[in-house]
Amino acid sequence: MSRIPAESRRTRAPEEPGGIRPGPQGATREIERPASLISRSGGGRLGRRAASALAFAVLVAAALFTLFPIYMGVLNSLKTEGEMLNDILAFPSKLQFANYADAFEKIDFWRSLKNTVVVAVVGLAGIILFASMAGYKMSRTPGKLSGFLFGAFVLSMLIPFHSIMITLVKISKDLAVQGSTAGLGFIYIGLGVSMAIFLYHGFVKSIPRELDEAAVADGCGELRLFFVVVFPLLLPVTATIAILNLLWMWNDFLLPLLMLTDSDDYTLLLSTNMLFGEYNNDWSAILASLVLAMLPVIALYLLLQKFIVNGIADGAIKS
Amino acid sequence: MRLTKKRKQSIALLLFAFPALAFYAVFMLAPAFGGAAYSLTDWNGLNPAFSWVGFANYAEALTDDPSFARSLAFTAKFVVFMVVLQNVIALALAALVESRGRSKAWFRTIFFMPNMLSMIIGGFMWLFILTKVTSYLVERARLTFLDRSWIGDPDYSFYSILVVSLWGGVGYLMVIYIASLQGVPKTLKEAAAIDGASAWQTFRSVTLPMIYPALTIGVFLTLNSSFKTFDAVYALTGGGPGRATQVVAMNIYEEAFSFNSRYGYASAKAMILFLIVVVITLVQLRIMKNREVEA
Repeated sequence: MSRIPAESRRTRAPEEPGGIRPGPQGATREIERPASLISRSGGGRLGRRAASALAFAVLVAAALFTLFPIYMGVLNSLKTEGEMLNDILAFPSKLQFANYADAFEKIDFWRSLKNTVVVAVVGLAGIILFASMAGYKMSRTPGKLSGFLFGAFVLSMLIPFHSIMITLVKISKDLAVQGSTAGLGFIYIGLGVSMAIFLYHGFVKSIPRELDEAAVADGCGELRLFFVVVFPLLLPVTATIAILNLLWMWNDFLLPLLMLTDSDDYTLLLSTNMLFGEYNNDWSAILASLVLAMLPVIALYLLLQKFIVNGIADGAIKS
Repeated sequence: MRLTKKRKQSIALLLFAFPALAFYAVFMLAPAFGGAAYSLTDWNGLNPAFSWVGFANYAEALTDDPSFARSLAFTAKFVVFMVVLQNVIALALAALVESRGRSKAWFRTIFFMPNMLSMIIGGFMWLFILTKVTSYLVERARLTFLDRSWIGDPDYSFYSILVVSLWGGVGYLMVIYIASLQGVPKTLKEAAAIDGASAWQTFRSVTLPMIYPALTIGVFLTLNSSFKTFDAVYALTGGGPGRATQVVAMNIYEEAFSFNSRYGYASAKAMILFLIVVVITLVQLRIMKNREVEA
């Protein structure tokens, strides 16, 4: 797997200079036009336009399909039950926020949100802090011990969660981390550090060693060197790691289901699931609660969209 | 002098790695090794005492457990459909989106959006579509081809699960494919066009070999995630009716936490899932890596 980033970077390289210098790119554009005329004599331009229109139509259809369930969910969450039964596709005659008030209460929104945030913050803080320290030091230290540790961390990335979950439940019970939101955060640290270490390990290589040496020569201790000099330089990869892990923890269902036994500790997803189980034909309340649970993520996505998409693509390609 | 420096380095290394290692050992390594060990016992959640039974659990799971065999077959079918469809659709969308001008960003935003949602949320939303909205469309708009029991009939609910999983997963791979398509040099495509290659020929012999590394990743990620699929099935059918749409992950979950708390036996099933995933993904990586080199 480690060969992939190098390759993809190499293939991407030729395009970059073109983007910076307008000259060569402008030149290639001019070549493009006659070439297409040669290859498709006669109705070339028309055929091309038709193909482009077709492509656009396909994309629009796919986009509508993608948005349809979300749109229907939001639409019907704003109707009364009667309106929904009468015409499921129509706009509501009057926006019904009563469903939301109902759902707010039924999923105990603020408490569920708080629980979700506690889990995510504990998990994220631990993963970023511990993985950056370990990844940095392993990347900087040559030798067998370092290689062995790195291998031990990275190897587990192939193990499916379902293969460890049974024993994990037992261990968590024994250590009394089961049944607490902070405890769930601790578990996420254990499960999440591997990938984060892998990404930090790779990124640290791009930071010149001379920087460490200069700081040490100035009498900077190891820990201060890391936190004051190195850690701020890791920001780009830290951002990627934060996004990947935040989404993972926020959207994870099975582990909280196994670990949080008391409904007071339920995360947004667990509360929504519970609501679904209790009122499984009351679609107005269910849809409203789904929209509520979805809202924080969608808001984050629309705000940081570019950042998130790039971070995820980056994380996938590198690991 | 040198030796002490080396030792100092090792100590610093261990100190820096210790916090991560501690959490990792307790919540990842211990359950992994523990699970392997428990799979050889008759450990049962209700009874603290247990004894070693060798490979009896494995033998039972593989030869004498029709529901497990069925969940394996169901998962295998799902994985095959997912690997092909998810990658083909993602690649097609990526190519189409890349061919756009200003609307590119819009389409990318929309297609990626489901990926941000938990499949529990997405699954429940789709459940509404597949039960309420389809029956409405059948009644009012006479779209009779939708008149199926999309959730209740396992023949159709397989496709429901597939569609919902594709809906949730395609955007992720599309983003990866877009990144890799952007890496194909324009000059190569132009050269092919000048030589009289059609769009399809250009794609087949110029673009495809260039993005082969991304294809390796895409297939790997799909294999990995679809073998472990749980949330979408949980939200849509809950594995039912009966156990007809049960995937392996759900079968393991039920064995351990719902029915009879046979932890040891469920651990053996979990080990079988692990081995299947590892072997198949390693074979896939080996084959596709070799072809990468040729291409």
